[in-house]
Amino acid sequence: MFFRMLIESFVRRRSRKLLAVAAVWIGLSLVIGLLALGLDVGDKLNREMRSFGANIQLQPAEAAVDVRVGGYELVAPGRTVYLDEADLPRLKQIFWRNNILAFAPRLTTQARLAGRSVPLVGTWFNHHVLLEDADPFVTGAAEVFPYWQARGAWPMNPESCLVGAALAQELDLGPGDRVELTTDQRSTSVRIVGVLTSGKDEDEAIVAPLSVVQRLAGLPGKVAEVQISALTTPENKLAERYGRDPQSLTPAEYERWVCTPYPGSVAADIQNAVPGSSARVVRRVAETQGAVLGRIDGLMLLLGIFVLIASTLSIMGVLSSAVLERRGEVALLQAVGAHRADVLRLFLTEAVAIGLAGGVLAALTGQVLGGWLLRVIFDSASEPHGVLLILAPLLGLLIAVAASVPPVWRTVHQQAARLLRGV
Amino acid sequence: MNQSAVLLEYVTRAYPGGVRAVDGVNLKIALGEWVSLMGPSGSGKTTLLNLLDGLDRPTDGCVHVMGQNLLQLDVDEAATFRRENVGLIFQQFHLVSYLTAVENVMLAQYYHSMVDKQEALLALERVQLADRAHHLPSQLSGGEQQRVCIARALINDPKIILADEPTGNLDEDNADRVVKIFQRLHREGRTLVIATHDPDLGRLAQRIVCLRHGQIVEECSPDGSDAAPRATGAGASHDRDVMHVTAS
Repeated sequence: MFFRMLIESFVRRRSRKLLAVAAVWIGLSLVIGLLALGLDVGDKLNREMRSFGANIQLQPAEAAVDVRVGGYELVAPGRTVYLDEADLPRLKQIFWRNNILAFAPRLTTQARLAGRSVPLVGTWFNHHVLLEDADPFVTGAAEVFPYWQARGAWPMNPESCLVGAALAQELDLGPGDRVELTTDQRSTSVRIVGVLTSGKDEDEAIVAPLSVVQRLAGLPGKVAEVQISALTTPENKLAERYGRDPQSLTPAEYERWVCTPYPGSVAADIQNAVPGSSARVVRRVAETQGAVLGRIDGLMLLLGIFVLIASTLSIMGVLSSAVLERRGEVALLQAVGAHRADVLRLFLTEAVAIGLAGGVLAALTGQVLGGWLLRVIFDSASEPHGVLLILAPLLGLLIAVAASVPPVWRTVHQQAARLLRGV
Repeated sequence: MNQSAVLLEYVTRAYPGGVRAVDGVNLKIALGEWVSLMGPSGSGKTTLLNLLDGLDRPTDGCVHVMGQNLLQLDVDEAATFRRENVGLIFQQFHLVSYLTAVENVMLAQYYHSMVDKQEALLALERVQLADRAHHLPSQLSGGEQQRVCIARALINDPKIILADEPTGNLDEDNADRVVKIFQRLHREGRTLVIATHDPDLGRLAQRIVCLRHGQIVEECSPDGSDAAPRATGAGASHDRDVMHVTAS
């Protein structure tokens, strides 16, 4: 009889029940949508903030003293503190390989151009890094430095290069011009395919494919540093403690630190993978990203709490009034001999069914909503979050039960006689 | 404890603000007796019935029904007492809107012991509603709903039937049907306490108890004997005010 009552209550009062399910569904869809967005927004923002440039820099471990002139590291003949270009594919074989979004090696030397010495920067452009058991990873300066703007084209072969915007203006160079670059070792003729604006030192340099610079510098297969753009988590107190004193972490904390993509732990992983290297976090970029992500996370959390409260109140309003309008029925059940627990059981089972139904629907539509928001805001697709498929029905159940218990509880403790008289 | 179906001793039901819906009532109803509670609206008839079925509690006095002191029962124990002993019939029928006629009858079975659909159908047949067993309350007339309500009240074979204006919302034909059911129940030896405005229904009882302002102001038999007004109030003595009437 209990299930007959339950089923008939749903079948023959379906409009009321649908209204209740719809309240849970719509209310929770907003919450789940926001949660789905919140789960994705950090990742998406992180990717968006790649425009800040690399957040990890890899250098030879022995390059303790940099010799820099005008912001450029001078490569002295015979100096051996370089990294091997051949080791760089290891960056995509580390534990955090999926967090390595892009990287570009760099080798800088001085070349003679039109009778004067100019900085010559070598790097990758649209470079295919060959990986074992995986498709080639395409990366280069354009990926690591999204703020680089090339008027014209990017160099796609060893006979082409970019000229920095300031140098181009000074020497009256532009796309299509052919220039002769000379070093102490060699000389080569390259064609300018684009004018580079980076807002930094590259504006006064010739930027050419790495192989060109390696040949002119007499350093085949060598790179001076690697700029890496990695997806990281903002540093927290744990990461800060590790930064101050790695020994202060307990084994469990260290395990957590290693398994979280803090800039420091990703850098450590990189450093371990590339022989003779030293990876350091570019604090300016990492901290800016961390600060922005921290604030966005806080904002999302606050929004999520507000939406959850608003939705919960709205759902509770609908469910509570649905119970309250059945006070007469509660009183009748007691009049024909039902105990208070019997009445509570009936109404709670209904609430559980409503909460679960609304929650399951919200799990689906909430994720669709979150995906739509992500597409609108970041022009990016989202992936389903399994945790939300469990969380939404659970939330629906909790809210529905929380909304139903107080009015039923109050009703079963009221004078049934008064309720039957409609007082 | 005693052989009476109902024994009320100095029963008062007061509400906040000082209103006394029932005021110092003493009343004894014998097993198998049919008593009509009559009086104007607000005289305390329904409140008195609710005190008898344990849905309400007196603020003063004692209520014994079928030998059970209802004041000793909590809400759930009172519910158990009701389902074991009392059949309730309401003026507003109070059927569960999403259950059919037979399911409404089965509801009382469910909380009493176990559901038996055949028995529930038989109960509807006894109130001439077998053909409407699978209709929802909204598909039934007032008279039919009242008969479902009666079938539900009778399904657990209660010892006492408490009815509140059972013909109040019915036309003449349906009222007659309901009256005949009551007469049959009385012949079967059940105790009936019926609150009613309807003088025709009231006259069918063995005893009419008239209430005014929560007090019993008159008790009489339908044929006019024992018609002397009886002032029953908080100050009245127990011996004088408790009626001892044996069922005929």
